Amino acid sequence: MLKHTISELKEAVLCLEAGQVTLRYPFEPHPPEGNFRGKPVLNTRKCMSCGACGNACPARLISITDAEGIRTLLFELARCTYCGECRDACPQEAITLSQQFELSTASPQDLTIRAQFQLVMCTECGEPIGTERQLDLVREKVNAASEFDLGALDYLRLCPACKRKAFVRDARLVQEVAA
Amino acid sequence: MNALDWCFKKSIWVYHVNAGACNGCDIEILNALTPYYDVERFGIRLVHTPRHADALLVTGPVTRQVRERLLRLYDATPEPKLVIGVGSCPTGGGIWHNSYATVGGLGKVLPVNIYIPGCPPRPEAILYGVAQALGLVPQQVSPQEYAEVT
Repeated sequence: MLKHTISELKEAVLCLEAGQVTLRYPFEPHPPEGNFRGKPVLNTRKCMSCGACGNACPARLISITDAEGIRTLLFELARCTYCGECRDACPQEAITLSQQFELSTASPQDLTIRAQFQLVMCTECGEPIGTERQLDLVREKVNAASEFDLGALDYLRLCPACKRKAFVRDARLVQEVAA
Repeated sequence: MNALDWCFKKSIWVYHVNAGACNGCDIEILNALTPYYDVERFGIRLVHTPRHADALLVTGPVTRQVRERLLRLYDATPEPKLVIGVGSCPTGGGIWHNSYATVGGLGKVLPVNIYIPGCPPRPEAILYGVAQALGLVPQQVSPQEYAEVT
């Protein structure tokens, strides 16, 4: 009996030492660890709507649709598993996973991200070739790689099929490649 | 507001239903019951039968096998009741959204009061979601829209 009481007292002293363990969470914020993966956020200034995120997403929640001269990038984050594959796949580093975790909502539509970009059409045949930002990036890279100014030729505003035709017609370009 | 609604705000008893979950969310629910998070200080506790419950805490994408049982559980819960979907699977079907074996989300089977997305959600998020279902805290998410203007 005495032994039992002593062991109980010992436990009581231990508990006093430990102090309060319970978090005061709803009254005080409890931020997650630094590399916590919360709600994805799209930086629309950097995104060039290439669709690499959609290819990488395991839940297939990122869709890209082209309609009426507008490219729509739609994230249905209701079924997001917060794996971070889209962030790793993005060449522009436009997707980041925030620290936000209090995502409870009555309707899953509140968890969508919709970004719309103007499509650029081929100047010859009118097929969509990409967005203005994609063309800017290509122009930048081409100008950096060669002293030959392709950007000035409006060559980049053609679809692959029309580009081939224009290449054959332009004697100056053919000579440049042959030389 | 009648007496029943007034009482309902105070301490809700939840019944946990696993509707085909991978156990990730179940472990987080269990985590929320530990002394570290201690939901019992708000009167929230897990009960062993839906007949004692005020809220159904459903995890999983609702498989075809469990659909009938889920409907029976819902009928067995007395009014007023809350249905809370915990995890990405009840919210939108998760990575099984187009599988033949699942219904693809809790919303297609029961009227859901609140969804708590996360894979799995943090115990804090579950706590926040339950409080939001009771109308004690505001909603924090809103859709992000962007349209390029030329």
